Amino acid sequence: MAEVVFDEASRIYTPGAKPAVDRLSLTVADGDLVVLVGPSGSGKSTALRMLAGLEPIDAGSVRINGRDVVDVQPKDRDIAMVFQNYALYPSKTVAENMAFPLKMRGMEKEERGRRVRQAAEMLGLTEYLDRKPKALSGGQRQRVAMGRAIVREPQVFLMDEPLSNLDAKMRVQTRAQIAEMQNRLAVSTVYVTHDQVEAMTMGDKVAVLADGKLQQYATPPELYDRPANAFVAGFIGSPAMNLLELPRSSSGVTLGGIEIPLTREVTDAAGSRDKLTVGIRPEDWVLESTDADAASVVKAVVDVVEELGSESYLYAHLAEDTATTIVVRGPGRVKVRFGDPIAVRPTAEALHVFDVESGERLD
Amino acid sequence: MIDRAEGWRRRAPLLPALVFTIIVTQIPFILTLFYSLQSWNLVRPGSQEFVWFANYVDVFTDSQFRQVAINTVVMTLGSVLIAVVLGLLLALLLNRQFVGRGVVRTLLITPFLITPVAAALLWRTVLLDPTLGLVNFVLSPFGASGTEWISQFPLASVMAALVWQWTPFMMLLLLAGLQSQPSDQLEAARVDGASAWSVFRELTLPHLRRFIELGVVLGTIYLVNTFDTVYMMTQGGPGVASANLPFYIYQRAFLGFDIGQSAAMGVVVVIITLIAASFALRLLFRSFSGEEELT
Amino acid sequence: MAITTDTPTDERASATDEGQTPRKQRRSAANVWFGVIAWVVGIAFFFPVFWMVLTSFKTEADAYTPTPKLFFQPTLEQYEGVFSSGLGPYIANSVAATVLSTIFVLLLGVPAAFALSLRPVKKTSDVLFFFISTKMLPVVAAIVPIYVVVNQIGMLDNIWTLIILYTGMNLPIAVWMMRSFFLEVPGELLEQASIDGAPLWRTLREIVLPIISPGIFATALICVIFAWNEFFFAVNLTAANAGTVPVFLVGFITSEGLYWAQLSAAATIAALPVVLAGWVAQNKLVQGLSFGAVK
Ligand SMILES: Nc1ncnc2c1ncn2[C@@H]1O[C@H](COP(=O)(O)OP(=O)(O)O)[C@@H](O)[C@H]1O
Ligand SMILES: [Mg+2]
Repeated sequence: MAEVVFDEASRIYTPGAKPAVDRLSLTVADGDLVVLVGPSGSGKSTALRMLAGLEPIDAGSVRINGRDVVDVQPKDRDIAMVFQNYALYPSKTVAENMAFPLKMRGMEKEERGRRVRQAAEMLGLTEYLDRKPKALSGGQRQRVAMGRAIVREPQVFLMDEPLSNLDAKMRVQTRAQIAEMQNRLAVSTVYVTHDQVEAMTMGDKVAVLADGKLQQYATPPELYDRPANAFVAGFIGSPAMNLLELPRSSSGVTLGGIEIPLTREVTDAAGSRDKLTVGIRPEDWVLESTDADAASVVKAVVDVVEELGSESYLYAHLAEDTATTIVVRGPGRVKVRFGDPIAVRPTAEALHVFDVESGERLD
Repeated sequence: MIDRAEGWRRRAPLLPALVFTIIVTQIPFILTLFYSLQSWNLVRPGSQEFVWFANYVDVFTDSQFRQVAINTVVMTLGSVLIAVVLGLLLALLLNRQFVGRGVVRTLLITPFLITPVAAALLWRTVLLDPTLGLVNFVLSPFGASGTEWISQFPLASVMAALVWQWTPFMMLLLLAGLQSQPSDQLEAARVDGASAWSVFRELTLPHLRRFIELGVVLGTIYLVNTFDTVYMMTQGGPGVASANLPFYIYQRAFLGFDIGQSAAMGVVVVIITLIAASFALRLLFRSFSGEEELT
Repeated sequence: MAITTDTPTDERASATDEGQTPRKQRRSAANVWFGVIAWVVGIAFFFPVFWMVLTSFKTEADAYTPTPKLFFQPTLEQYEGVFSSGLGPYIANSVAATVLSTIFVLLLGVPAAFALSLRPVKKTSDVLFFFISTKMLPVVAAIVPIYVVVNQIGMLDNIWTLIILYTGMNLPIAVWMMRSFFLEVPGELLEQASIDGAPLWRTLREIVLPIISPGIFATALICVIFAWNEFFFAVNLTAANAGTVPVFLVGFITSEGLYWAQLSAAATIAALPVVLAGWVAQNKLVQGLSFGAVK
């Protein structure tokens, strides 16, 4: 049972260069699964490895259960890690792989065997216990790596993109299994991924990183509904939120010739800015009939239609301003095709408004 | 960061090997340097005296030494280059599918494995003997019987033996290089419509480059030290026509017992080799540690 | 690529139309020819070895014929002769020098390669440079002081002298080779082991060594080949007591004169162990000799 705290923790690989992790502060509550998500190179792995003790902490501190672990060796941090490529010992069988950390801790043979069998059963690995990793499929290897972490009964699980080497179907299955197992074992877990769907589906809380800096740390619904800045807004959600830089008008902003009203809070926060970044999720457009009143709808021309069966996404450019493209969610059997005109109206309550320069949320 | 204790802990496994290598390989060179400044002949006990650079003067005015130095360059570079070219041709041949490829490869690598002393003997007698040798027997229909290979072409004879031994090595190395070329590259080129020759020139050769470099460097390191083949085939003769530096220094030291002179030659050889080697080393380093610089 | 994708398709189609032979058949016909050439070259390269072995089963009378004899009454008389002239102790010396020096190379070299790869120390490339540069220095330049020192401490004609020198001779190359094998061990594995709490030596023994054992084996094999075949140190520093097989070959010739059949038997015995080892492990051999640059 453990609480993990990053306190202004930084990692600077090359002195003078930009930190790979820049004053990261976040708290993982006991038993929570926290996902670190961000684009490649954003510092997720580095942050995780700092927690594991595989990277030094150049500034700030990292605490596990209140104990500062900056000078603690990886083996003494009571953590278990699952690596992207699983890091299974090729010369050892599945059972030996899982038992190895226990053996290194001087656990007795019977107890080791008991724990390994238990974990193997839980993961459906019982019949593979005597195989070498070479003779396993990708999914099985992944489970062995999980098993090796579980048998330790550590304070914290660390996982660095553990699903990225699996095929799409396995990934969805395993994702659910990991979440379920973590829930059952109630071990605090830090999980790294670049896939925002994984982050949203698995995390109790999600930390979005970019350029080594924490962008937002929140629950998935919060992240989706109130992204703290334009980066998070664009990163979370698929297809991505439409982020449009729009000029101010008297009571809102103008888009494609129509005026979109903004809430009081936003206009207050926006102050005297003459431009705003406005975010509209694809599902926050309403498709109108093309002969609707020109003053209340935005006219656009369809470039691509993505039919997903239950819904569809229309990629279109504005009729007035062909350089601006938008994505609109439509119904499953949408009739429009390439080149067709459409008319859309944004749902005013669902707008996200950000500062043009800093990207910070306004309201 | 790595503190001092950790630094030593990391260095510890390296130290025995490093110290051993320094003792076994460096101290003799320092002594060589020291001896090279002395006049010292083993057959005249008590003759040891300090003469500064007199030995070097002798070395540079020794016309035989110059001849021998040239022989060494010709023998080393000639053998290496011929072996690389032949090795490349053989590797290209063996890179194709045919019946018994494994057997042919086994046959081909054998000369490299033969003890050089035995190989030299084999060449001197069974192969190159003027009257009973196989080479003259095979060439006799072309009217070449009775050629005294070893005395008429001593350097070429030694080089033939060396090429015979080192071509298999180059072949193995380059074959491995060819087989490490990703097949999707070749397939992409085929789809792009490149001819076999342009595939070879524009993809395969550049890919093989570092293998060729490695072969040249390793071959040179070993062949510049050739002693056994010269000793067994020609004894450097006639005169010094086929002597290389290792053999010549050996003669001076162990037949002439002239420690000072041979030490001075040794130093000269080291200097020449260092110049050549720093060039070769750069090649080696570029091919093998450029990607993962560790300091 | 400048060439568009549709041209070759056309060419190929027309070639198939006009050339009567379907492409596939033509290609395999070419391969048959390449196969034939490869076999011929392979046999040519191997022939001297074959002839050596053949001659070793001849009587001297059968060995000296103006037309080389392929068919004859085989005899073991030459091998008996070689063994009765006291080859045994030389073989024992060669085995001792080869095996022990190879063991020492591994004992010193494995930790050093580890320190230079998986847990790199500062100035790694300088150390590597030093190791390889010792191979560039010709041994002839060191032989004089080595002889003088060995003589002074009374270690001439002592097998330990050769063991130490062979260790020094092979260690640098071995460190280089093993380092490249170590570098192939995924870093994640070591990190996993450190999280699992395995101490360094257990990580090395239980996790790293099993992975790189083929590489270590290849390295050892190469050390064995070079040590077994070494002649220069052996001939200069040993005599009847500590002489190795190549030294025996030389002594054998000077004392018995050139008897081809017997000499072939002796050369066959000298070469056999390394040839067999090399045949069995040819793939590993390439991997080792290319510093692991190829698999
Ligand atoms: N060993 C290293 N040395 C120097 N820079 C590194 C090293 N590892 C990672 N970096 C840099 O640190 C940044 C963060 O890397 P990483 O944590 O691996 O990102 P992520 O896991 O989010 O893709 C990147 O810019 C990367 O180039
Ligand atoms: Mg990463």
